[in-house]
Amino acid sequence: MAECRHSLTITGETVASILMRNASQHGADVAMREKERGIWKATTWAEYAEQVLACAAGLNGLGVKKGDAVLILGDNRVRLYCGMVALATLGVYAMPAYPGTTLEELQHFVDEAKIVAALAEDQEQVDKILELRGAGAAQLKYIVYDDGRGLGFYEAPGLMSWEHLIEIGSHCLNDAPGLRDDLLGRAKPDDPAVFLHSSGTTGKPKGVVLSQKNVLAAARNGHAAGAFDFGEEVLAYLPMAWVGDYAITVAAALLLRFTVNVPERQETVLRDMREIAPTFYLAAPRSWDNVLTAIQVSIENSTPLKKHLYHFFMDRAIAAERRKLDGMSGGALESLGRFIGEMLIFGPIKDQFGMSRVKNGFTGGEAIGEDTFVFYRALGIKLRQLYGQTENSAINAIQANDEIRLHTVGKAAPGVEVTIADNGEILLRADSVFAGYYDDPNASAKALAGGWLHTGDAGYLENDGHLVVLGRVSEVMHTKSGERYVPNYIENRLKFSPYIKDAAVIGAGRDELTAMVCIDFDAVGHWAERNGVPYVSYADLSQREEVAVLLRQAFLRVNNSLSEPLQLKRFVSLHKEFDPDDGEITRTRKLRRTVVEERYQKVIAALYDGSRKVHVSAIVTYETGDRGTVDRTLPIREV
Amino acid sequence: MFYRLSGVHHASYMSDSRLYKIPADRNLALFFLALGLAAPFLFGSLYLNSYVLPWLVWTAAALGLNMVTGWAGQLHLGYAAVMAVGAYSAVHAAKFGVPWEFALLIGGISASVIGSLFAFAALRVKGLYLALTTLAMQFVMDWVLTHSPTISGGSHASLQAPTFALLGQKITSDTGLYYVAFGWCLLVTIFMLNLRRTGLGRALVAVREKDYAAAVLGVNSFYYKFVAFATSSFIGGVSGAILVATFFFLAAPEQFSVAVSIQALAMIIVGGLGSIIGTYFGVALILLMPSIVNGIVAGGASTLGLKLNVESLAHIPNAVYGALIIIILMIEPLGLGKLYGNIRDYLILWPFDQLKK
Repeated sequence: MAECRHSLTITGETVASILMRNASQHGADVAMREKERGIWKATTWAEYAEQVLACAAGLNGLGVKKGDAVLILGDNRVRLYCGMVALATLGVYAMPAYPGTTLEELQHFVDEAKIVAALAEDQEQVDKILELRGAGAAQLKYIVYDDGRGLGFYEAPGLMSWEHLIEIGSHCLNDAPGLRDDLLGRAKPDDPAVFLHSSGTTGKPKGVVLSQKNVLAAARNGHAAGAFDFGEEVLAYLPMAWVGDYAITVAAALLLRFTVNVPERQETVLRDMREIAPTFYLAAPRSWDNVLTAIQVSIENSTPLKKHLYHFFMDRAIAAERRKLDGMSGGALESLGRFIGEMLIFGPIKDQFGMSRVKNGFTGGEAIGEDTFVFYRALGIKLRQLYGQTENSAINAIQANDEIRLHTVGKAAPGVEVTIADNGEILLRADSVFAGYYDDPNASAKALAGGWLHTGDAGYLENDGHLVVLGRVSEVMHTKSGERYVPNYIENRLKFSPYIKDAAVIGAGRDELTAMVCIDFDAVGHWAERNGVPYVSYADLSQREEVAVLLRQAFLRVNNSLSEPLQLKRFVSLHKEFDPDDGEITRTRKLRRTVVEERYQKVIAALYDGSRKVHVSAIVTYETGDRGTVDRTLPIREV
Repeated sequence: MFYRLSGVHHASYMSDSRLYKIPADRNLALFFLALGLAAPFLFGSLYLNSYVLPWLVWTAAALGLNMVTGWAGQLHLGYAAVMAVGAYSAVHAAKFGVPWEFALLIGGISASVIGSLFAFAALRVKGLYLALTTLAMQFVMDWVLTHSPTISGGSHASLQAPTFALLGQKITSDTGLYYVAFGWCLLVTIFMLNLRRTGLGRALVAVREKDYAAAVLGVNSFYYKFVAFATSSFIGGVSGAILVATFFFLAAPEQFSVAVSIQALAMIIVGGLGSIIGTYFGVALILLMPSIVNGIVAGGASTLGLKLNVESLAHIPNAVYGALIIIILMIEPLGLGKLYGNIRDYLILWPFDQLKK
């Protein structure tokens, strides 16, 4: 890279000014690609800027102004990204929501801010917004949709296509020559870039407004820390409402001129990923786990020769990686094994999953299972950990390529100050830290007391500045005998087994630890087919004796790495998966511990009172919104 | 294992219909192209002119037959007759003083005209009846050749071809003749590769799969069968002429007998109907395997000290060769091309057995 790192001064810059600079200096370069009917349609920086300007002018023409909020609803789409940037240009709150968000959750957003318009992906989302409007959100005047399929005969007031909005905007720009400069000069660095919501593992999600200064500072800090370089290829597949997506595909992409590739549909992400082969790849631990499961299942289905080769090279590579992490170096034989393994096994596997060009691979959002992490390092993907939250624009501490350690998340990025409070809480201070929760001065004052952001994570700094994150402060738990443990840590180790999708470890204030697990239906179902285990449904499969044997093996493996008082003694395989629609996990699939512990209190009680089985009737919320109950008797199993 | 597909994406439909979308395929094709160009410097002239050159010319001819049989699905038992028409008309034209470039063209066109004339009659029937009609064409042509000394070259029934020349340059060296054969084979291969992704190629395949279903879709099946016959006859005619000009140097009726027609059909069936790479393999097997098996048997017998009489020595290779064809078709009824495809698929999916969606 010719550009030197400290050239990235962004004082006084806004999202729009950087976009315009890219458009004038690199106008013909590809900024975005979106796959449409198998073809990657490219958008150059110049076209990107034109779309954004026209959209901003259009919204301005419709009367959307500072202080208003616009809902962004849908999967990743180039036009939705253009819309977000246009809203930042106007200084309006762009409020992305998860595409699967239910009406109640949307209702919460409507009550929270003054939402005047919505940018929707397709008919499904438009229907949802119309319903929301019917439920009393009358201030939601305009609905702009990207994909018009099925919307031809809709006659709702204020409903228009993206093309129509752009047309309005172009007219405005043509009629008023000064409008262009007016729009571009409108937003200041302290104006909002995006309005996100904290993940809300505890209670209702809180509104987090990140300013343009925040998100750009995060991108700059990330670059300075070596997280990404100029011109990375990225795949925009993360939910738009997740801070990680905004930090990478909007903020960093603008600042460092990434090429952002938008997959055709959520279902085609794996294939599209292979076609693009991104150079930068950020995923939640959950996705890394999913890919790992896919690899393991595919290998299990392979022929004995290939299975044998895989295990021969993989086991050695994992052992070598562990040695390396412990600071020992391997011999020449190890490099030879790596080389041949790369040719025969690792290279082809990375190719199959589109990871062969990943230079900067990251996991973030929550703690990753140690085994998963080591597996990818052994595969030859330089996976690193990244520490951040919604409140601080996602990018704070980053592992450097040559400083990978299992238990730390790396040093604080340049521009970020870290310190530890007396109670062990991690405190942060940086330009990327937000100014406070939206319309909630109490919570803001608490979070930003003393000028430091209270992350709510427990951790400590090592002597050389590496940050260790233990888990949420609220999640560090103690057994009755006072043994300290972090349930999340044990759960992640359990989830390394391809057969376990979710787990909840219980034991706070009790004599011993137990767990509730949800099987991975795909992986276990596949295993059952191959081993002749009959089943009719998830509920049935999860209770099979043969499956219990599988799960027991996973538990024994995890117990091996835990100290005696923290070993898991009993478990229940639940009859349904944890579901964000039931509120048991968040949309980013983090466990809502209080909800789970309350909903399954009968099961938990049974785990400790010595009974052999427990009868449950769980409430299930169907996608239509109806509720039903499922009755089941679950056996309690000893590990 | 060697096939890496990640990062291969298409920003336009043009790019999506590229010949080689996977880098490994393209590199392999380029490698063989380079090998073909360098062949005169790699092989001795004996190997070059008695193995590689006829292999290439026959491949070009077999690709033509594959177009009508493999693509359009019309069984053709008279392909050697078409080649004969091309060969004789080209040689006669050359003897008359027409430059070879035009003589080849005349050979191709006359083969195309006669082939199409037969097609007009033959295409009124389908399937086995069509096969019999084309066989009739073969016999008519044999009869004409043996009974008209003006065409076949007098009492000896052999017609000396004038020295081959292109652009006024006489080509007599082994290398020169090789490049003529190589150039023609390359030309036909490129045509066939591109045929697959054109409307014509797709129409032919539609006709092959079910001609009246194709007709329902608006594909004029008679027209496309006719085009297939005409084009393949042209390729066959020029190939026949080049075969005589660069390999046999004289034309004789037995070079284009019914047995040769059957052999050409065997080439594409063993190689794989509708497969280009398979055609290369099939021609190599049918054309070159007999002499290789011969060498192995004779060499093996002498090293082992076996005293085989001349008759066994002549028959064992034939039996081995026949068995080889049967074994190949039992392993993969779709021919060597499919066998290659299987290996390719295996390597593409490596180390998995199937992809999880």
